Amino acid sequence: MRELLRELKIKIIEELQLKEVNPDELADDTLFFDGGLGLDSVDLLVLVAMVDRDYGVPIFSRELGEKVFITLSTLAEYVAKMRKTK
Amino acid sequence: MNKPWLKQYEAHVPHSLTYPKIPIHRFLSDTVARHPDHVAMTFNEIHFTYKDLNERVNRFAHALLKLGVEKGDKIAFLLVNSPTYVFAFFAVMKLGAVVVNLNVGIQGEELARCLDDSGAKAIVTLDLFVQGVYAVIKKTGVKTVILHSVFGLEKKMPLEEGVPQPLLFQELLASTEAAEDPTVRISPGDVAVLQYTSGSTGAPKAAALTHNNVVASVLQSDAWVGISDAGNAAVLCLIPFFHVFGMSACLLISVLKGYRMVLVPRIDLMDILSLMETLKTYNLLSFPAVPSLWAALLSLPPEVAREHLSSIRVATSGGAPLPRWAHERFEELTGRRIVEAYGLSEASSATHFTPYPRGGPTGSIGVPLPDTEAKIVDRETGKGECATGEIGELVVKGPQIMQGYWNNEALTSAALRNGWLYTGDLARMDQDGFFYLVDRIDDLIISSGFNIYPGEIEEILKRHPKIKDAAVVGVPDRIKGQAIVAVIALKPGVEADKQEFLKYCKDQMPEYRVPKAILMREEVPKDPAGKILRRIVRQEALAL
Repeated sequence: MRELLRELKIKIIEELQLKEVNPDELADDTLFFDGGLGLDSVDLLVLVAMVDRDYGVPIFSRELGEKVFITLSTLAEYVAKMRKTK
Repeated sequence: MNKPWLKQYEAHVPHSLTYPKIPIHRFLSDTVARHPDHVAMTFNEIHFTYKDLNERVNRFAHALLKLGVEKGDKIAFLLVNSPTYVFAFFAVMKLGAVVVNLNVGIQGEELARCLDDSGAKAIVTLDLFVQGVYAVIKKTGVKTVILHSVFGLEKKMPLEEGVPQPLLFQELLASTEAAEDPTVRISPGDVAVLQYTSGSTGAPKAAALTHNNVVASVLQSDAWVGISDAGNAAVLCLIPFFHVFGMSACLLISVLKGYRMVLVPRIDLMDILSLMETLKTYNLLSFPAVPSLWAALLSLPPEVAREHLSSIRVATSGGAPLPRWAHERFEELTGRRIVEAYGLSEASSATHFTPYPRGGPTGSIGVPLPDTEAKIVDRETGKGECATGEIGELVVKGPQIMQGYWNNEALTSAALRNGWLYTGDLARMDQDGFFYLVDRIDDLIISSGFNIYPGEIEEILKRHPKIKDAAVVGVPDRIKGQAIVAVIALKPGVEADKQEFLKYCKDQMPEYRVPKAILMREEVPKDPAGKILRRIVRQEALAL
């Protein structure tokens, strides 16, 4: 799980070109929105694409997105869970 | 005038069109007469036929009449894509009043300035935005607030003394009997829409668009695509109607043709995820979008992207250039081309399109639409005509071009000279008549299809008590075209971290204007005259 979380942090920084952000300084409970990474809707879609492409985990509904895209940890937990069930 | 682009026109596109002298809402009346039972719009599984739509439009128009709205009155819209927008838009048109089209992200001083500058007498909005409206209402001439309540937020908001009580849209509709079209004599030369857009000095400005301008623009785009057999096909309306691209390519083309608008409101960030379901559910004829959205969708795994995008017959991208990789990926996945459109608020929507369906050379904004002239003039003098391939300022002329900026003679005379609109875009034309954007004459940043002037953000940053000075630039971004980076200098002796300023920005400006990165420096680079050295700021931002 720790490894997945770190991998996700690196991928998110790469995908969103967050050049100022150091993955080692990103707390696991960093929020995606509201004062956290401060992402916008297109950023969200980019991350949805990345998670589907790189982990085979689709998050294509609003209901699911609200539960998963809260913090880096909630995303990592969901990806880990869905990968296991495959 | 030499028009080398005419040879690029597809066989179905006439070189010139006849423009009926009609008000915009004739599109609706004609479609209701032809296809009353076509679905006009779908919103959260609720469907309205054109007959339903027209009936509600008339009821709302009569409700506005009862409230004292008259021909020429300005009615501000602070609305996402929703049935309320569509009902209100056509009701205002039928009364000969004027839609003041505002970006839902604006707030505070900027909102006050737009409402005040337009002379808006009433505003139609959602309960989500009503707090922002009441925060500035005393600085404006707005006397009537009509709101569509989604969450009942207005009930929790205490109102100051002396401000108008909000009227509920739903109650106004319910209280009005079914009615015929209101009888208001409208001249097609009357202003129909005040389209607010960014201003280089940080002050908003509004393009005054007449019924003639908007009707011409819609007919030009329709002729360009030339589809006549699509029945009640679906158009995905994700681009906001408050943007001319959304108003024209989503709302008005759909109503002209009798298509079904599938409305995606984008109230919050998660709404974008419902797009994926929508793309699969509807067999879409048309999906107009901005490059950042195309780029995000085309980043999906190939099989997922193909499944979601392959039904789209008319895929349009506008607002900024679409990167080459996105063009190639779309063609690889679907066998079709994304058509690029270039336009401005000042031109009601598009002036250029790449040929449909074959597309144009990558990197090109296409060729001028029928009856649209375009040339490249000397960037310094604004005169002459540059040779083929030479870079200069793009100027355009045509029936879709605005009458001028509302209440702003100085800006109007700078932008409109002898009927030519000076776009502020540096461009070139190749020997085949295709145009290519090269850069901006001013410092405009285009991010996710939105025009953003650095001054708008710098002004807000400098209002922060800890910030002494600020400079803002755009840097290339794979998805959004450009991303915003701010360099700030703090006042002596103060300490702060970037998060504090990012949070401040999020509270003070629309999401699309919030800088992606903030760099803290001792001083903002300036020349001896005090002018920001953006070239140096940009180098620092690029070195990130």
